[in-house]
Amino acid sequence: MIQSSLLAYIGLSAILFAIGFIGVLLRRNAIVIFMSLELMLIASTLALVAFSKFNGTMDGDVFVFFILTVAAAEVAVGLAIVVALFRQKQTIQVSELDSLKH
Amino acid sequence: MEISVLQHLASGNVWSSLWPELSLGCLALALLVLEIVLPKKSHDVISQVAILGQMIILGFVLFCCHSSDATTEIFNGLITLTKTSHIMRVFFLLASIFVSLIARVSLAKQTMPKVEFYHIVMVVSAAMMLLVESSHLIMAFVALETVTIGLYVLVSYSRESALTLEAGLKYLVMGALSSSLLLFGIVLLYGVSGNPLLAGHTLSGMHYQDLGNFLNLNPHNFLASVGIILVIAGVAFKMGAFPFQIWVPDVYQGAPTPTTAFLAVASKAAGFGLLLSLFHTVLLSYSWLVIPVLSFMAGATILFGNFAALTQTNVKRLIGLSGVSHAGFLLLGVVASATIPMALGAVYFYLFSYLLASFLVFCVMAHVAPAEDANQELSHYVGLARDNPFLGAILAIGLGSLAGIPPLAGFMGKFFVFLAAYQAKMYSLLFVAIIGVVVSIYYYFGWIKAAFFESSEQDAGAARPARTEVCWCNRLIFTLVALATLGLGFYQGALGQWLNW
Repeated sequence: MIQSSLLAYIGLSAILFAIGFIGVLLRRNAIVIFMSLELMLIASTLALVAFSKFNGTMDGDVFVFFILTVAAAEVAVGLAIVVALFRQKQTIQVSELDSLKH
Repeated sequence: MEISVLQHLASGNVWSSLWPELSLGCLALALLVLEIVLPKKSHDVISQVAILGQMIILGFVLFCCHSSDATTEIFNGLITLTKTSHIMRVFFLLASIFVSLIARVSLAKQTMPKVEFYHIVMVVSAAMMLLVESSHLIMAFVALETVTIGLYVLVSYSRESALTLEAGLKYLVMGALSSSLLLFGIVLLYGVSGNPLLAGHTLSGMHYQDLGNFLNLNPHNFLASVGIILVIAGVAFKMGAFPFQIWVPDVYQGAPTPTTAFLAVASKAAGFGLLLSLFHTVLLSYSWLVIPVLSFMAGATILFGNFAALTQTNVKRLIGLSGVSHAGFLLLGVVASATIPMALGAVYFYLFSYLLASFLVFCVMAHVAPAEDANQELSHYVGLARDNPFLGAILAIGLGSLAGIPPLAGFMGKFFVFLAAYQAKMYSLLFVAIIGVVVSIYYYFGWIKAAFFESSEQDAGAARPARTEVCWCNRLIFTLVALATLGLGFYQGALGQWLNW
């Protein structure tokens, strides 16, 4: 019984993680890519809380707070870079960011 | 919860053992205070304070901790101090000092605010030390993210250059992607190891040793194997190993030169420090899976790095791709260390020789680079040896050591790693590695050829940026490092014994 509801949580989190992963690879807008990255982190958080409840240990719950902090810091730096880049190039479409030689 | 439990928990928090990290952090904060207090015209002092302060910390680390051979676990298992963590402390302090020295030369050509650069480099170095000392996955993740987020800022530091910002965005997206993979891997390992239905389930599934014990009892668990693959993927990004090396050329080219040096040396070493501490506690329990994966990565990384570097004319991309191949050689040593204990010493010796050689090459790059330092072409080096024999000699020693030319430290590094691989009977990988070395000599010598054997009359039309003069203090430091590179090739005694093979 518990096992099957745990599987549902893990399945959902795996699906969210996959959506985020594919989003990062396929989307062309930097902001949408950031949203996909956040989705991947949140998917991990969901799995963590589910595991934590199922296993009866607190480590997972504590870890969630660290992940939230990390995600906030990452977005703060990321949006700063996007804003600075938009001022320079007037675009945030990653397909147009090809000045560095291949 | 009783007060005695809390007291027991608090007694594990031995802050004094973390004094190198704490003092680096305090020094970093002091720099920001100095920037406010000092008048604008004396801001040049701040970078000198930064370098001197780090040298003093390095002196204390070398002088005070030498006797500590034992393994101590502090902060209730979050951090384990070993001999290895001491070695890596010295490594990251050296790397941080070297990057600050390069930054002094390189940032002088830009109009950026400068103090924050030294600040972030020090904070990141302290986090790297914590990363290799951690023995708990939460600690490792938080330290890794401190490193990574600091590096996002450093990569996109020149915010008026579109090339730098582009590199910053690419690094951020790839870095965040790999952190998410690592995180999901950690979550799966935690979830599986605490599962009450499995044999040997543990309450502290994030602790390396407990996790390793659990994995030993459940050697073919599906979720755990997925978790381990994801963790390796996340670490491979830091090391710049195949197939997670795609970000390397673009980011190395766009980032400011001192940041490129930091990425090439310290960030790579942090990845290897994390991999080694995980490898011998957690990952080896799944050696049926981990050894083939890492062996494949090592071979592919060596081949990709060397063959992709062949066609480059931009020196930053060239050094980035050659760094990828060095990650491959190091991975070879890591895989060998599963059976041959001497391989560990070989990996650390390789890291140190790579640190010294890279420092020499990046210093010359900082002196030769134009103000827009994403565009550093091989043609900028034409006539370097004739116009400035000192820089030419430093470049030759640095590149020679990276290529592994016999009397230099890089040769001994490669030799020890290959010897360990030979003893571990990894003959096919060894064959790939030797092909890699032969190929690498070609592009390193293309660079040396540009500096030594092409005269500037041949391309008089090409405009070459003005080179910075080398100040006496840098001259002294470069000479010392070059002598160390030369000396370590002949005599590894002190360092060799210290690294303990």
